[in-house]
Amino acid sequence: MTTADSSAEIDVSRLEELADVMLPAAHGMPSASDVKAVVVYLDQVLGWRNDLRQSLARAVAGLEPATFTVDQLAALHEEDEDAYIALTTAVAACYYLSPEVRGRIGYPGQVAKTYDPYAYTEWVAEGLLDPVVERGPIWREAPG
Amino acid sequence: MTYRADVLIIGAGASGGVAARHLAEHGFDVVCLEQGDWPDRSAFPGTRPDWELAIRRDWAMSPNVRNRPEDYPVVHDDSDIEPLMYNAVGGSMIIYAGTWPRMLPSDFRVRTLDGVADDWPIAYQELVPYYDAIDRQIGVSGLAGDPAYPPHDDYPLPPLPLGMAGRRVAEGHNRLGWHWWPEPNAILSAPYDGRRPCVQRGVCTSGCAEGAKASTDLTHWPKATAAGARLITGARVSRITLGPQGLATGAVWLDRLGVEHHQEADVVILAANAVGTARLLLLSADDRHCPDGLANSSGLVGQRLMMHPFSVVTGWWDDQVEGWQGHFGASITSYQFYETDPDRDFVRGAKWALSPVGGPLNHILPMRAGNEVWGPDHHELMGRTFGRGASWAIFGEDLPEESNRVELDPGRTDSHGIPAPRVRYRISDHSRRLMAFQEQRAEESLTASGCQETAVASMIPYSGWHLMGTARMGEDPASSVVNPRQQTHDVPNLYIADASVFVTSSGVNPTCTITALALRTADLLVQHRSEQKVPA
Repeated sequence: MTTADSSAEIDVSRLEELADVMLPAAHGMPSASDVKAVVVYLDQVLGWRNDLRQSLARAVAGLEPATFTVDQLAALHEEDEDAYIALTTAVAACYYLSPEVRGRIGYPGQVAKTYDPYAYTEWVAEGLLDPVVERGPIWREAPG
Repeated sequence: MTYRADVLIIGAGASGGVAARHLAEHGFDVVCLEQGDWPDRSAFPGTRPDWELAIRRDWAMSPNVRNRPEDYPVVHDDSDIEPLMYNAVGGSMIIYAGTWPRMLPSDFRVRTLDGVADDWPIAYQELVPYYDAIDRQIGVSGLAGDPAYPPHDDYPLPPLPLGMAGRRVAEGHNRLGWHWWPEPNAILSAPYDGRRPCVQRGVCTSGCAEGAKASTDLTHWPKATAAGARLITGARVSRITLGPQGLATGAVWLDRLGVEHHQEADVVILAANAVGTARLLLLSADDRHCPDGLANSSGLVGQRLMMHPFSVVTGWWDDQVEGWQGHFGASITSYQFYETDPDRDFVRGAKWALSPVGGPLNHILPMRAGNEVWGPDHHELMGRTFGRGASWAIFGEDLPEESNRVELDPGRTDSHGIPAPRVRYRISDHSRRLMAFQEQRAEESLTASGCQETAVASMIPYSGWHLMGTARMGEDPASSVVNPRQQTHDVPNLYIADASVFVTSSGVNPTCTITALALRTADLLVQHRSEQKVPA
């Protein structure tokens, strides 16, 4: 396990370029930099998960943004799994914290909902369970 | 002055909480030592934006990843499955899903019915009154009449919502002619015993901030302490002490500062899970009386570890079903392929439970089924699948093998310097055939339910929630560690209340049965109190 190092410096502009390759604008979704994912949310993400910092710094320093392609992620995974996990986790976490991104994928977060606990009587009355009940017991008798 | 309790319980989780409440309410002077602390519900991450980051580190299910002071490392580099647990008042119930199935009659008779493993020395019917009592104590939500089970008392609360995905899969199973039923859950569907109901947030396995999901810190410890039980947290037991008569005299424990104490008691109950209990019995070896570990004349302490091979089969529809939402316990269950079918190349079977699939991070950095995709295709994948899926969580019956075991590791220790447990565990070829069959059927289930796509995460390593079998129950002291009352054969005032005593694993989530057995053990202790041997 990598030891967390709160002093490891991360080049934010390099990370933003890498994040744009991993999450470009496509299929109606914005790129990472379109929503300023890294610039706005990286401090927050590393505040929650400072243990990622050192490995993330290593990943960012080791990948060249100008020539980076997503195909290189497999090699990073193979050579330095902690760096790979830190990079993918941090980029994804920053991106999906963006309210614009959440809005576009229809994700409101894990929200509380209310419901009628007796609504089940409707689907029972409707007969949803009838075929199961009509087939009869399926448990196996066992000697006592 | 040394204080001597009637009963010392080691571990304040599922079995410890149930036993403590029953014994305290029946007049016993109970002390419990718990290495963790009371859970702080305001610290549970499920309502926070960093929820999916937290469950990969500080709220991971693995003690090795969380690495909190109250955790102990579990060495598992020689295991196909990683043991998972939580150390606190309430124990691993804090992070369990909350599904609450009983074992079935055939689960207690696998030798007689299927010629494998061993029969339990007790039968399903003996546990029914305790299952019913536990359901009322914790407030189970469910629907009576499931034809997969013999008839039993109705649940105290109505079933939790099916949700969109549950409804679709129920209809799919009706088309296939396959069994399904609303899953009983230890999660409140309506207010009960001063607790609030579930709000369908879908974060059950990182702690229920609502308190709707049952855990003994909510359901049993307040009542136990009101009845006089004393619960000492931050108390890590290093060994059980033995007196000259061959009876347990109590336990040595270390506080958070490392100061050593000795708690005396007439009776000791181990309730530390099948890894922790085996570890403590092995740590309590004594060159003169029990060189191979306490209560280990059979040589079986630590052996026969069972962990339920676990696969996840996820299906995705072409429209939204709010796949991140809903109780994580399970909306519906299926026992279609639970019992033995002689036409298959394996015996026994598996239970299926339909669950949500989590938020965006779990979707793209999957801990279960799915793939990581980056670049333009990432957005195509998310658009096609996010919020549109549900997963069958499949637990296969794990037959016991003596080579699957808990030992003491010669090198690793916990934060107090106490040797850590090492787990050696291999998934058998039999289990692999069983799980492959179940995975194929589960894909058929989801396809019949209208899913456009399915994916299988087969026998995932990060799944050792169900720890069982390391101090098995039996009539014969030569081939078991505890008798049917869960009293150790070797030390008559030492009991084991947790799933260490399981003879076989069944194919269902074990907590319902763990608590029913713990209640039965405590009840029999009350009934036989006048016969109980205690130290002079």
